[in-house]
Formats: sequence, structure tokens, C-alpha cells
Amino acid sequence: MNLGAFLIRRLWQMIPTLLGVVLLVFFLFNWVGGDPAYILAGKMANPDDIANIRHQLGIDRPLWEQLLIFVQQIVTGDFGNSWATQEPVSAIFRTRLGPSLILLIPMMLLETAVAVAVALAVSAWRGSTLDRSLMAVSTVMMSISLLVYIIVGQYVFAYLLGWFPVKGWSDEFWRNLTTYAVLPVLLGLMVSIAPSVRLYRTFVLDEIGQDYVRTARAKGLSETRVLLVHVLRNAAIPIVTNVLMGLPALLTGAFLLERFFAIPGIGREIILAVERSDFPIIKAATVYVAMATMLANLLGDLLYHWLDPRVHLE
Amino acid sequence: MPGMINHMGRLLFILVLAVPLAGFAAAPEKVLHLALSAAETGFDPVMTSDLNTASIEQQLFESLLTYDYLARPARLVPRLAADMPTVTDHGRTWVFRLKHGVYFAPDPVFKGARREAVAQDVIYTLMRFMDPKNRSPYKFLVEGKIIGLDELAEAARRSGHFDYDAKIPGLEALDRYTLRVRLKTTDYNFAHAMAQPMYGIVAREVIEAYAGDTASHPVGTGPYHLARWVRSARMVLERNPYFRHETWNFEPGDDPDNRRIAALMRGKTIPQIDRIDIQVIEEPQSVWLSFGKGELDMVGLAGQFAPLALQGDHLRPKYAARGIRLDRISDPSIAYYFINQQDPVLGGMSPEKIALRRAIFMAQNDEEMIRVIDKGQAIRNAYPIPAGVAGADPGYRSVLDYNPELANRLLDQTGYARGPDGYRRMPDGSPLAVRYTSSLSSQDRELDEMMKKALDRLSIRFESEKLKFPEILKAERQCHVQIRLSAWIADYPDGDNFMQLWYGPHTHENNASCYQDPQWDRLYERTLTVPDSPERNALYHQLARMLELKGVTKVSTTHIRNVLSQPWVLGFKPHPILPSVWAYLDIDTARAPRE
Repeated sequence: MNLGAFLIRRLWQMIPTLLGVVLLVFFLFNWVGGDPAYILAGKMANPDDIANIRHQLGIDRPLWEQLLIFVQQIVTGDFGNSWATQEPVSAIFRTRLGPSLILLIPMMLLETAVAVAVALAVSAWRGSTLDRSLMAVSTVMMSISLLVYIIVGQYVFAYLLGWFPVKGWSDEFWRNLTTYAVLPVLLGLMVSIAPSVRLYRTFVLDEIGQDYVRTARAKGLSETRVLLVHVLRNAAIPIVTNVLMGLPALLTGAFLLERFFAIPGIGREIILAVERSDFPIIKAATVYVAMATMLANLLGDLLYHWLDPRVHLE
Repeated sequence: MPGMINHMGRLLFILVLAVPLAGFAAAPEKVLHLALSAAETGFDPVMTSDLNTASIEQQLFESLLTYDYLARPARLVPRLAADMPTVTDHGRTWVFRLKHGVYFAPDPVFKGARREAVAQDVIYTLMRFMDPKNRSPYKFLVEGKIIGLDELAEAARRSGHFDYDAKIPGLEALDRYTLRVRLKTTDYNFAHAMAQPMYGIVAREVIEAYAGDTASHPVGTGPYHLARWVRSARMVLERNPYFRHETWNFEPGDDPDNRRIAALMRGKTIPQIDRIDIQVIEEPQSVWLSFGKGELDMVGLAGQFAPLALQGDHLRPKYAARGIRLDRISDPSIAYYFINQQDPVLGGMSPEKIALRRAIFMAQNDEEMIRVIDKGQAIRNAYPIPAGVAGADPGYRSVLDYNPELANRLLDQTGYARGPDGYRRMPDGSPLAVRYTSSLSSQDRELDEMMKKALDRLSIRFESEKLKFPEILKAERQCHVQIRLSAWIADYPDGDNFMQLWYGPHTHENNASCYQDPQWDRLYERTLTVPDSPERNALYHQLARMLELKGVTKVSTTHIRNVLSQPWVLGFKPHPILPSVWAYLDIDTARAPRE
């Protein structure tokens, strides 16, 4: 199948998936989402006030009509305004996504680079003390909650030692990246890197016992070349899958890190929207994440083909 | 030679000019660094309901009246008004005279001209609260009060358009600076409504120019204007260049702390601080550590950090040695248990139902609650009106104090016998369980434990109902909650703001106990016709006692607010009602860390 036909078919398949997501989100929110009118009405509202707010938000309309509006919003890309703050949803994502990405992209790149490097290194010494120790450390690291890392890390490294700011954010990209994001990124890595190391080690070990590796070694290739060129290329498919599956999470931010370090990211905003039953933001976030997941899958399939031409696009 | 003299003269002239200018340029900027515990919601006062947003609006907008900074209990004083209003016709007619020469902060809408605040702006501001489009959370302060305003709102509901040009008898501009408000009935608390930050005066042309996005364009007459805003993250307030000349001249009275503050501040121009830099920091740990590093100038001490910072009622020596100040104030608030009077299990006025409710209330250990939940930062208060609020009764003795023994005796006597499983049953032998409603927060999980312990003391089966906060409000207003611990903080310092919580017609609004008792309601209505006086206090006393005797509510505690400030913050005193007092402070730049 040629690339164009493949892309059209895959994009076409996304429509029913997205519709499923839309239905799920819509009915879940209406079932358990809470009634925002009671928050917006304030301390001393009467039933008329509540009815007026429900009318203005459109949540007194029949469900099918509300669902239709939701679909219309997805088609136009305009999710309206936040019910709580009146800020356009598009502006919320435009302004809050940047800070989250400044945290999450370095975290993802570092996590992948370090995890792959460690996985390759320990696989060369499989079963050694180094391998066993690293695996034990990984297990301990992933058993500790991110919250613990943040509370202790913020206290020790920012407050006691003063190596980093306790919290903060600025308007300058470079200052944010090199000053305010450093500690949150490092603390985030403490949790995220261990599972990746263990997973990638397994991928590498799966490959290292293959015949082609023995052949490469028999040809006299250096161990470095065997690992970096032959083993890594073949282990790359599951690694790429794992990385791509993490991409949609960039859209939901890192709530705990953003909250503790006062970073105006999208994670904080989404949690706040859930607390306030601010449906327009919840709708937009869910749809964006669903679309990003589907696109990441598509990108993954294209990358498999590029990494290993034996993989056919069908 | 003359050329040289000219040259020397010019040099001298430049030097004479330069010396004071250099001194002026070197004057360090005074910046106050603060944190908000939750994100703001936008700066259109008519739509505001949360304290964080109100604290900023207090600096941007001005209401007709405000509260004296130092006087305790809180005392009303003029703000945008030139003096206190003239009240006639038994509290039904109020005449406000506005200060002359009060200008709105600059905004492109004014096209470079200075825009003076006048009586018509006050009328427009008051009308906005009743415009259904604005769905104002604070319209209750004017709803049903001003002659003609409700009718205007009703017409707007029907037509979809609020007629701001309509003349109504209740709101009249007698001249450019004089406003007459006529109320339907006597209301001695109307002045308090006019002191709320949400009732800050706005200009009609600004609201109309930014229609649909008014929350992003706050233009008021306050001492500051919003210079920078990163939503949900950071707000920077800077001096309003058009703010009138006002000096700090609050009367300290005999209070030594007030005298200390007055000695530091008297005669200074308001505001003294050039810039207020406010960040949204939701996590108490981050706030606490930032304050410890000197990155924040003032913080409200969160409960979990009280044991770290305080030793009893005082600051720990290591913080006191750094010059950090602690200010403690009893909040004008109550935490109270209520039981739904319409609930099929706990509601009703039969003697055994009243006994059951009173027993449940008597099983609540308030001291344990103060120790465990409030970390010692609360006081036992059994009266529905807290200290510092007009009508409070510090000597009130509750009949529902913690007494599990008496509570169990009461249940034994009224037929709530224990079944074979050890739990009590209803007098008719049917099972008895009490459903306690709380939110999903960690503090509410602790409260669940406390309630379970209390019910275990009575051998009553405990059931937990966990709801999201909006759902709790909905359930309360639909009279579906059985029992809950709720809280109320004063909107204004008058007992009525608390006693109305049990008024029958407020069922499905904020009478969460759904208590409807004609006798109680009649007494309450009498309090509305009487100004703050011993006569009204006696009525309040009767009302409070009835609530206890009928097992409607148990007032448990009042929260204590602890505020820490750095040594370079001058003139701070926490105010029980004003959401912020930043315009009355100063910074000692010699001690403050450089920006």
C-alpha cells in the first residue's frame, strides 16, 4: 500500500474512535461531573439563580442538543469560554501549554537518552553486580511516590542548600529552562527514569541474544558498534513505541510539579477545571489528548517502517 | 571670558538639577511580594465570589464605604463617599455624597482624558448586580431591597435586555455627586453592602467597551491598577497614577499595637508601596519555604505549618530572632454541624428525634477537633455569631458541649436500644445509621474519622457519603444531606449575616439544615427591624438557644488566622473583614532584600 492511501485510511479510521471518545466523555461528565451552577452561584443563591446560570451555560438543554454542540465545537476547534473564568479555552491551552512543555520535553528527552544508555550499558554486563544493583535501585526509585521526591527535593535542594529557586516562573524561555525548570525536571526524572531503564533493558536483552548479533561479533565488529548500530536499531521499535505513547501526556502537563513549583502549566489548569466542573476545558483536553494519541500511533507506524523496511504499511 | 562664565553657569545649572535627580533615581522601588493560595477568577467585581480575587479587587476598585483599618470591632468609614451616608425613614432612605476629584485609572476607553467617578457610576454599578446576564454571586446584598430594581431585573429576564437607562425610584442621582437610595423595607445593614469590594464602582463605557471580556479589563478608582496579569499565575499591581492624594491617618485609640503602627505610618501618602507582585502558589509547603527564603513578604500560615512556626500562641524563637512578625486574629467565621430537619431518619420535631440529634451533637469532641484538624489554630465557639461581629455573645454557654455520657443516657431514655450487633436501633426497632457527607479532600477524610469516632461513642452506625464540592452544595440545597460540618465566614460584620443561615424562607438557598419553624422565623424577622442593640442581642440569644434545644445545629469552632510578615513590612495589622490592606502598608527598603 502506498503512503498516501495508508495515511488516508488511518485518518479515516480515527473518526469513529474520536466519536467513541466524545460519547464517553460527554456521558461520563453528565453522569458524574457535578453541576457547576452551584459553585458559580455563590454563597447565597436561590433556585432561580441556579436556573439562570444553568440556562446561560446551556446545561438545561436536552442532552442530544448539548452533544451536538460538543461535536460542532470539535469540528470548528472552538470550545468556547471557561465557565469559571470566562477565558477562551483556546487561550488557556495556548498560554499554559508552553510552560508544561518546557518541563516535559527536557524530561522526556533526558529520560529516553539516559534510560537507553543505561540499558545498553547494563546489558553488556548482564547478571553482574552492576546490573543487579542498578535494577535494585530502579525498583526502589519507582516505588517512591513523586510527591515524596518533590517535598523532600524542594526542601533540601531549594530551601536548605539554595541550589535552585523554591518556586517561580518568568517570561523568558531560557531563564525558565535553565533556572526554574531544572529542579522540577530532575525530580520528575527520579520517578520516570526507573521504569524506562528496566523496560529498555529488557528490549536490549531480547535483541542481544539474537543470531545477527553473534554474526556481527563473529565478523569482528567492536562491541560498541554491535550495541549502537545493530542492537539499538532493532530494539528501537519498542523504544519508539514507548516514547510515542508518552507524547499525548505532554498535553496534560505535570500537575504535581506545576502545583508545587508554581508553574503556570496546563496540568494545573485541567485539575482546576475538574474541581470546578468546568466542562469546556475538560472537553477540549480530552479531545486533544485523544487526537494526540491517535496521531502518535500513526507516527509510530510510520517510524517503524522507516526504522525497519521489513515492516509494511497496510 | 563671558563665554567661559556662560559655560560654567550651564555646568552649575546641570549639576544643581542632576544632584536631586540622581537621588530620586536611586530611591529603591518598594515592592511587596505576596502569594495567593488559589487562582483568581477574573476581575469584574460583579462576577466575583472568591476571597482571593476580592483581595485584589479591593486595591483596584473602591466601594462607597469601607472599614477602618485599625478599629476593632470593624467600623464602617467612607471610602468613595465623602462622609457617612445620611439615613432617614427608619433605615429606608440612604443619601451618599461622593468625594470630588476621584478619577478612574487610565484606560484607552477614556481616550487620554481623565474620567471622574460620579453618582451615575454608582447607580450603574448597583444595577449591574441585578442584570441576569452577569449572574452575580453577590446580588443578594441588593436583591429585594431597592425600590424598582427587582422589577427592572424581571423585565430583563423577560426581554433578555437590561435597561440601564431606566429611571427607578430607588436609585436617584440628586446631583453629580449625590446619590439617594430608597429601600423597600428597613435595612440597617445596607451600609455594609456598600462596603463590599465586589461593590467597587465601575465606569459604564469601560464595561460596554469590553463587553464579554470585562474580567480582563479592571478599571477602577483604587490606589492600584493591574499592570500585568498572567492568568492563574501572576498579577502585578502598580500605583494608579490618577489616585487622589490621601494620607494615612487612622486613629490608633489606646491599643499599644495600633499606636506602634500609627507612629510608623501616620502622615504618609497612600499608597506607599510602588508595586505588588502576587503569585498563585497553591501548595502550602512552597509558600512556607518561599517565605523562609525571604521571597515572600507576608503569608497566611497554613494549618499544617503552625506547629513548625508557633510555640503556643507565639512565634518560635528562631523566627522571632529574624525579626519576623506574627499577627493572630480570630476570623469572623464559624464551623458548625447541621442536621437536615427534613431528613426521614434524623429530621422531625418529635421528642425522640430531637433527643437523637442532640445526642449526636453532644458526642462531637470540639477540643479534639481543634487539636487534630485545626492543629490548635481554632477556638471553641458555641454561639452562631463569632467574636468581632455585631451581636456576638462571648459569654454564651452551650447546652450541647461534649458529653458522651449524657448523650448516651438521652438515647437510652428515648428508646434507641442497642441491638444484638451492639449498634443502636430506632425506637420502632428499625436499623439506625447516620450518613455523614463530606468532600474528597484529605482534611475531610480526617473529619470522617472524627465523625465515626463520635458515632461510635453512641453505638450508632456510621455511613460516609463522599461527593465533589459542587455536588455537596446541590445536595444541601435540595435538602438531601443528612449531617455535615459546614463553615461560614462573614460577608459583613453583623449578626444577621450568620443568623439568616437558619431562616425558613432561605431553605434551598443557604439554610442547609432546611429548618422551617414559624416561631423561629418570626423572631428572626423582628431582629431585622432593630438596629444593633441589646434588644437585638436578646433576640439573637433566644434564636441561638432554640437552634440548640431543637437539635438543629451545633456551632463548634472559630478559626484563628495567623499571618507572618517579614521585618521590612511596616504597618501591617490583619483586618477581620477587609480582604486586603496592602495600600496601608510600607516597606523598609533598607532592610528588604534587593530585587
